[in-house]
Amino acid sequence: MVDGPSTAGNGAGNVGEILAVGTRAPGSGRVQIDVPAKPGEPTLRWRSRVHTIPEIEQELARIWAEPNLETMIEGEPGRHVAARTSVMNLVVVARRPEVGERSAATIQLLTGRHPSRTMIVSAADPDGPSWLDAQIQAHCVLPRDDAPEICAELIYLTVGGESGRHLDAIVAPLLIHDLPVTIWWPEEPPFGKSQAMDLLSTADRLVVDGSGWSEDGLRRLRQLAGLLDTTMLSIRDFALVRQSRWREAIASIFDMPEFLPYLPSIRRIAVTYATHDDSGSPGSTNVVKPVYHVAWLASRLGMRVHKPLATNDGARRPATRRASPPARGGSPHMSRGLSATLGNGRLDVSVVVRPVLSDMPSGTTLRVELLSERRGSELRADVTAEQESVHVRVWVDGVEELDRGFSAPRRNDVDLLAEAIESGSRDPISDETLRMAADLVGPDAERPKLAQPVSMGASA
Amino acid sequence: MTAPTRPRTRPDAQPDAVPQPAPRPKDAPRTMKDVRLAREGRKKQAGRTLENPLREGLRLERVPDPCVLVLFGATGDLAHRKVVPALYQLWRTNLLPHEFVLLGIGRRPFDDASFRTELRGAAEKYSRVLPLDESAWRTFSERIDYQRLDFDDAKGYDALAGRLDDLDHERGTRGNRLYYLATQPSAFSEIVAQLGRVGLDHEVHGGGWRRVVIEKPFGHDLESAHRLNKEVGRVFRESQVYRIDHYLGKETVRNLLVFRFANGIFEPIWNRRHIDHVQITVAESIGVENRGAFYEETGASRDFLQNHLLQLMSLVAMEPPATFAADPLRDEKLKVLRAIAEKSRSDIAQDVVRGQYGSGWVAAESVRGYREEAAVDAGSETETFIAAKLMIDDWRWSGIPFYLRTGKRLPKRATEIAIQFKEVPHKLFRESATDPDPNLLAIRIQPDEGIMLRFGAKIPGLGIDVRSVTMDFTYGSAFAVDSPDAYETLILDALLGDASLFTRADEVEQAWGIVDPIIDAWADSPPPDFPNYESGTWGPDAADQLLARDGRRWRRI
Repeated sequence: MVDGPSTAGNGAGNVGEILAVGTRAPGSGRVQIDVPAKPGEPTLRWRSRVHTIPEIEQELARIWAEPNLETMIEGEPGRHVAARTSVMNLVVVARRPEVGERSAATIQLLTGRHPSRTMIVSAADPDGPSWLDAQIQAHCVLPRDDAPEICAELIYLTVGGESGRHLDAIVAPLLIHDLPVTIWWPEEPPFGKSQAMDLLSTADRLVVDGSGWSEDGLRRLRQLAGLLDTTMLSIRDFALVRQSRWREAIASIFDMPEFLPYLPSIRRIAVTYATHDDSGSPGSTNVVKPVYHVAWLASRLGMRVHKPLATNDGARRPATRRASPPARGGSPHMSRGLSATLGNGRLDVSVVVRPVLSDMPSGTTLRVELLSERRGSELRADVTAEQESVHVRVWVDGVEELDRGFSAPRRNDVDLLAEAIESGSRDPISDETLRMAADLVGPDAERPKLAQPVSMGASA
Repeated sequence: MTAPTRPRTRPDAQPDAVPQPAPRPKDAPRTMKDVRLAREGRKKQAGRTLENPLREGLRLERVPDPCVLVLFGATGDLAHRKVVPALYQLWRTNLLPHEFVLLGIGRRPFDDASFRTELRGAAEKYSRVLPLDESAWRTFSERIDYQRLDFDDAKGYDALAGRLDDLDHERGTRGNRLYYLATQPSAFSEIVAQLGRVGLDHEVHGGGWRRVVIEKPFGHDLESAHRLNKEVGRVFRESQVYRIDHYLGKETVRNLLVFRFANGIFEPIWNRRHIDHVQITVAESIGVENRGAFYEETGASRDFLQNHLLQLMSLVAMEPPATFAADPLRDEKLKVLRAIAEKSRSDIAQDVVRGQYGSGWVAAESVRGYREEAAVDAGSETETFIAAKLMIDDWRWSGIPFYLRTGKRLPKRATEIAIQFKEVPHKLFRESATDPDPNLLAIRIQPDEGIMLRFGAKIPGLGIDVRSVTMDFTYGSAFAVDSPDAYETLILDALLGDASLFTRADEVEQAWGIVDPIIDAWADSPPPDFPNYESGTWGPDAADQLLARDGRRWRRI
């Protein structure tokens, strides 16, 4: 773990300022390492600080012109051949410094697995004069004791004033050509705004986490789905990727030949999610994850949306409004959540997405229930998850037929980012799920438009 | 020894290996209306198994069916070192079905509990992910049972049949059984015959599949392999038989197919016009260890040439299969083996080199010679090294030598395929101080799995000096994730019914048809002065001369 950027303020940083453990070699940005490199642990090997794009380019060239990035081997100065390795450009848009630091920590753990030129971009002081502060670092990791080091570049870019509204103009000249560009937007991408769309037009992939979006997250989810039609972006949402253990468990029910015939006859899908809001009213809790569960099932089973999600009292889903607080003195009345109707060509399928007060993080899926009726026989399936496992139970005509647990730990951001990156080009299953989710949300959000067509670019 | 016969055209070598077009099901939809109704779900499409649409896009698009893996030789070394750790790893990563039972079969008097304890010790020692995941091991061990059985005890198989029926009933394994023969090869025929006698080979209509996994060596010559194939074929259909060559399960070997056929730029130059020769090396630094008696009967030619080396060669040389399915893939490999030029006695004397290690130094340790090893004849004539030059008589490879070598007590453990390209047709940079080496593509199977491409580059400076540089891809650096062990890959494939990475009867026999004449020729002539190479060297001088005669040399590894 290394220090993140110091707050740039007016951008008057010093070139070559020491930011990490070790001492800076005179006249260069090389960092002398006092302890031997350990396999798998990223080490800061270079840092410098500049204020213009040409200076950044110059510094990046300097790093790799250094003949020797030394390290200590058994107490003696030695050398593992350090090679710059990049399989992609990774641009992280972080409005808050702590988000940038957290993202940088995640990316450094991926240095050995997906080395990239990483730019962590943040805009500051939008009303002041334009300025640029760039902290350039090189991190190296030994994959094994006997293997050469792999090094990757990390650039913290803080942009002030008018320049902050043109992040694409900062990022574009620093991209390694012919390598795919991934934009990781850990916070809330302003999809409708030109600065976001201009930046996305430079990218091949977009990684977001819809479960962190404000309010119910559904308006932004709809906008995200709109990008599938207006761009060539390959889109990965951590909220969806994270659910793979649920999907494996649900699919496993229908691997059993006696349950498989019930699959086309599903009549009801109910997803229960955690809320911290006493009323649990729609709009108060992010429901992107529960909606993804429904959307995945519906898209895999070829369903269509007949009635989009609406509050269970029949009103249209309030897109973003938080419900009024309960009347003084009265006990809060828990909302019945959202409902929708799907169709599979023959049958109507009712959908319920309902909140439950829980200590689990708000918006976390607690339970997925399926009800299927076939030739007078009824199958009920109930899937729940804990930190390390997923539990599946199935009843046929009221008799328990299956009760099993799967060891399936929750995945951290490093795993999720790695999977999002590895998946490369567009994933039809993910795209179909996202489109279905947008259909479920209904047509109450405008699709964002790109300022200009997105080039195909390279994809990995 | 009888004169060898190459099984070039024998039709009975592959009982049902050549796929025939499947007959059209009687009630298959015939008209557009039938097809449309079937697609709309209004009428079940005949002859088509329902598939789980929720599996699409998940880690496994199919999961193994509930089943019992019946492990013969469950108390042996192979089971402990490879099979059980691989099964545990598959279980730990949720790749085995919930209704799974490992039924160990052996002669030793274990009960279920003591056998589980025994296997836990093996998993703690040999699992590639340690320490053991207690929770995963607990649930896995609940699925381990043991049945004592002498392999030639007919009554024991009756009891086994009963036990398997009970397991199907109690554990929901649905009659699906994978018989894994991790025993001495001498027991294969007996076990297979007994399984057939009690009907354990029968795939019951709607009641489960039966497959048998057979470990190498599959026979010790063409005749014995053919006999064993026939004996196995009397009980199991070829499609039920999975012959393991664990090299085919290695990640880099599988990547060889991806490298060749998922990239457009290599296949156009993968032929005699651009390639000068191919070297395949399978080097071991270890000696025979405690397998002296086994090795005395096999030697390097049977232990490695007949299987690993020829399999690697056929993967390098084969034409692209039409689909990545078991039979099209194996058909193409078989064509390569069939096209390998038959060698006369004089060809063998000239193109094949045998060696036996003497004492020496390996990895800074003094080691004894082969003849001093335990259970090895003091005057042994068994080869521990073989190098051979093989030619493939087909349009793609005509005139291009494939140099193969394998041996024990070589300086290091390394398996590599080196594709040596031809020199440039015209030397443009005559003023360069050194001639650049021709391009070389090295595919490292182990260790440091990866691919290296060598090419010439200009040395920075005012003149035009050219030097060879390399582009190196290593799995460890590019992916930094552990590859599955070959046994994990192969066992999962067998459970899924995918035979792509298993060798077919006709392949095995064809490979013996290449090795048998060499062994016969050696049997008729005294060996060179064994031992003829020091431990810790790259084999006898004759191996170097084999290439030197052609103006080439072995690649330094």
